[in-house]
Amino acid sequence: MSSARAQRRVAPTAYPWPTMTERPPEPILHLDMDAFYAAVEALDDPSLAGRPVLVGGAGGRGVVASASYEARACGASSAMPMAKARRLCPDAVVRPPRFDRYRQVSAALLDLLRDVTPLVEPLSLDEAFLDVGGSRRLLGEPVEIAAHLRARIRDALGLPASVGVAPNLHLAKLCSQRAKPDGVLHLRREEVAGFLAPLPVRALWGVGEATAERLARFGLRTVADVAAADPGLLRRVVGQAAATHLAELAAGEDPRTVTPYEPARSISAEETFATDVDDPEVLRRELLRLAEDVARRLRGEGVAARTVTLKLRYATFETITRSRTLTTPADDAAALHREVVAALEALRLQRARVRLVGVGGSNLVPAGAARQLDLLADDRWSRLERAADAAGARFGAGAVTRGALLDEAPTSGDAAPSSQAWRPAGGDDPVP
Amino acid sequence: MKFRAERSEFADAVAWALRSVGSRATLPALSGVLLDAQGDELHLSSTDLELSGTLRLPVQVEQEGRALVPGRLLGDIVRTLPNAAVEAAVDDDVLQLTCGRASFALRLMPAEDFPALARPAEDAAEATLKSEVFATTVTQVGRAASSDEHRPALTGVHLSTADGVLTAAATDSYRLAVRSVPWDAAVDAQALIPRRALDEGRRAAESLGADVHLLLEASQATISLPDRRLTTRLLEASFPEYQNLIPDTTERRLRVDRAALLETVKRVAVVGEANTSATPVTLSLTGDTVEVTAGSGEVGKAEEALPGELEGEPLQIGFNPRYLSDGLEVAGGEEVTLEFRDELKPAVLRPAAEPEDGGDFLYLLMPVRL
Repeated sequence: MSSARAQRRVAPTAYPWPTMTERPPEPILHLDMDAFYAAVEALDDPSLAGRPVLVGGAGGRGVVASASYEARACGASSAMPMAKARRLCPDAVVRPPRFDRYRQVSAALLDLLRDVTPLVEPLSLDEAFLDVGGSRRLLGEPVEIAAHLRARIRDALGLPASVGVAPNLHLAKLCSQRAKPDGVLHLRREEVAGFLAPLPVRALWGVGEATAERLARFGLRTVADVAAADPGLLRRVVGQAAATHLAELAAGEDPRTVTPYEPARSISAEETFATDVDDPEVLRRELLRLAEDVARRLRGEGVAARTVTLKLRYATFETITRSRTLTTPADDAAALHREVVAALEALRLQRARVRLVGVGGSNLVPAGAARQLDLLADDRWSRLERAADAAGARFGAGAVTRGALLDEAPTSGDAAPSSQAWRPAGGDDPVP
Repeated sequence: MKFRAERSEFADAVAWALRSVGSRATLPALSGVLLDAQGDELHLSSTDLELSGTLRLPVQVEQEGRALVPGRLLGDIVRTLPNAAVEAAVDDDVLQLTCGRASFALRLMPAEDFPALARPAEDAAEATLKSEVFATTVTQVGRAASSDEHRPALTGVHLSTADGVLTAAATDSYRLAVRSVPWDAAVDAQALIPRRALDEGRRAAESLGADVHLLLEASQATISLPDRRLTTRLLEASFPEYQNLIPDTTERRLRVDRAALLETVKRVAVVGEANTSATPVTLSLTGDTVEVTAGSGEVGKAEEALPGELEGEPLQIGFNPRYLSDGLEVAGGEEVTLEFRDELKPAVLRPAAEPEDGGDFLYLLMPVRL
C-alpha cells in the first residue's frame, strides 16, 4: 500500500507530460473565519453591521472572546480584558457569547468544508485545516478551491473567511493570519524562505512570550535568526525537544498531516470565577450549573457520557482533573453533578482557593444504546431535564432552571456567565 | 516468649492473621502480627483498625510472653519453611525462628504500640448460625454488593433482625439480593457490615465447618468461630430502604431450569463480551420457550432457546448478563421463577422451592433498556 502511494508521488516526474493527479506543491489550506463570534452576532442582528462589536464576559474578569474589525480599529482585540476593550472602544456593543449558536454555524461550516475533501481537521469552532492535495482533478488547484470555498461560505452562511494556501500546516496558518480580513494568501514553495525570514520568532508555532524572551536574550529575534542558529545553542536555550521542533519550523518544514475530525469525543464546560472561591457550597453550585450545560449539550447531540471529569484550577494556576467512569452512561445533570461532587469531595480541599472549575463528559456513547437501569436512581430528574430542554427550545435557554441556581441566574445579557468550551478552543485565539 | 508449633498449622494461622493486617505507613504497628503465648495456646492478632482478627492455636508454650512481629516478613518466612516443628523464641528485641536446620532472626516492633484489639462486649447478644447457612447467606447476598468506594453504603451487607428472623441484603443499585434465615437471639438489631468481614468469616466457616456466632452491637459486629474471632467496624452510611423496591404485584411469571438458563446466558453472552461495554442479553419469553439472544450486527450474534413455562403475556426484556448469571448462580435449587411486570421494571428471581436450610431468598434485578 504505502509503496504504491510513494511511487505515485514520484512517478509523475518520469512522465513526459504533467498530470492532474500529481500532488500539488501547496496542498494545505488553513481556513479561519474573520472575527467569528462577532460576525455571527452581526449576522443575527443586522443593526450591528458596520459597528464595533465585542463578544465576551462583561464581569470583573470578563475577557474579549471576539472583536469585530470595527472594534479592532480602536485597538480592542480578543483575549483582552473586557474592561480595557470598553475603555478603548466606548461605542462598542458588548454581547455575551452564545456558544450554542456558534456551534450550530460551525457545524454548517464543517459540512461545506467536507464537500471539498474528507481531510478536514477542525481546530476550533471557526478554523480548520484542509488537505486538498487529492481534490485537484475534481476541483482544480488549491488556490482555486480556496476562492471557491470563500464564496460558498459567504453565500451559504453570510460570513467572511480568510484562507492560507501553503505547502504545510504551519505555513498555511501563518498565511491565513496575513490574509485577514476576508482574503487569500498563497505561499509558493519557492517563496517560503523569504516569507519566513523577517517574521518575529513569535510567529513560530509553540513560541509564546516566555520562549520569545529567552530566545531574544541570545539575539534570536526573527525566524531567520533561529534558522541560522547553532543547533547546540538552540538546545541550551529551549531544550532538546523544542529545539528540534523550532529548527524544523524555522526551515519552513512541518511534519504534521491533516488529521480528519472524528465525532465529538468530549463535551465540557468550565467557568472562571470573578474572584477566587474557597466556599465548597459555591463550588458545588457552580458545578451544578456547568453539569446542566454539559448535560443539555449531551442530550442535544444524542449522546451520553461514560466518563465524567472534574477540572479544577487553583489560585496558583495549578490545574488538576479527576475522572470517573460510570456503569451507566449519563446525560442528565443530576448524575453528572453527583459524580463531579464525589470527585471534588475526594480531593478533601481544605478551603483551597479555586480559580476555575469545569465539568466534562467523554467516552461518549449513543444515548439510544442499551442502558442498564438503576434501582435506586430516581429518573424523575432526567425526565424533568428533558422537559426543561423542551421549554428551553421554545422560550430560550434558562427558561427553566433549578431553584439552587436562581440567585445566580443572569438577569440581563450583560451579566451572562462566560462559560466556555474547553475544546474546541473558543474565540479568535491564535494558538493552534 | 518461647513456643514450639507444628509448621503447617502455624503457617495457616499466620496466613489468616495477615488478612487483617494494616498497610498504613502512618501506623507501622498495624503491619505487625501480635504473637501472645499463654497457657498452652498461641494467640495471633492483627488489625487494620477496620477489621480485627484473633486466632488461638494450640502450641507447646515454654515461656509465656508477647511479641509484635513484622507481618509480611513472618508470612513469607513461614510459607517456605521445611516440614518440621517450628521453634520460636524471643531474645531481647529479636524473634529467633528455627525449623529443621533453618534459622531466622526477625527484628521485633514495640508490642506496646499495637492498639487494643476491638472485642465484643461481655453482654452482647449472640446468635448461632450453622456454618453452611452462614456461608450460603454471605455468598448469596455478598455478590450484589458494590465495589464502588464512592458509594460506601452499597459496599456493605445490611443485616437486620426481627421476630426470630435475620435478613441480609446488599445492592449495587443494579440488583438487590435479600436472604432471610431463622435467628435465635432475642434482640432486634440493624447493622451495615463491610462485605470483606463477612467474606473472611465465610471462608473460615467453610474451612472449619463449625457453627458461627454472630454478635451485633451498635458500632461493631463480631463473627466468632471456635478458634478465631473477627470484629469489624460498621459502615456509618445509611442503607437504602430496600423493602420499598420489591414489587408486590407481578404480571408474568416464568418457571425455568436454573442450570440450563445459567449455561445458556453465559454461552450467549460471550458474543457481547467482545464489546467493551457490557452488551445485554435479551430474553424473549413466549408460552413455553425462553429465547436468549445477544450481540449486534457489528460483532456477531448468538441465540439459544430453552424450555420455560410462562404465565402471562409474552415479553422481551434485556439484562446485563453478569447480573443475571450472578443471580442464577447463587439462587440455588433445581428450578427458579422469574417475575416481571414489564421490560423496564425490576424482575424478581427466586428459587422455585424453598431453600432446604429454611428462610427465603430473592434477587431483584433491573433490566437493560434495549
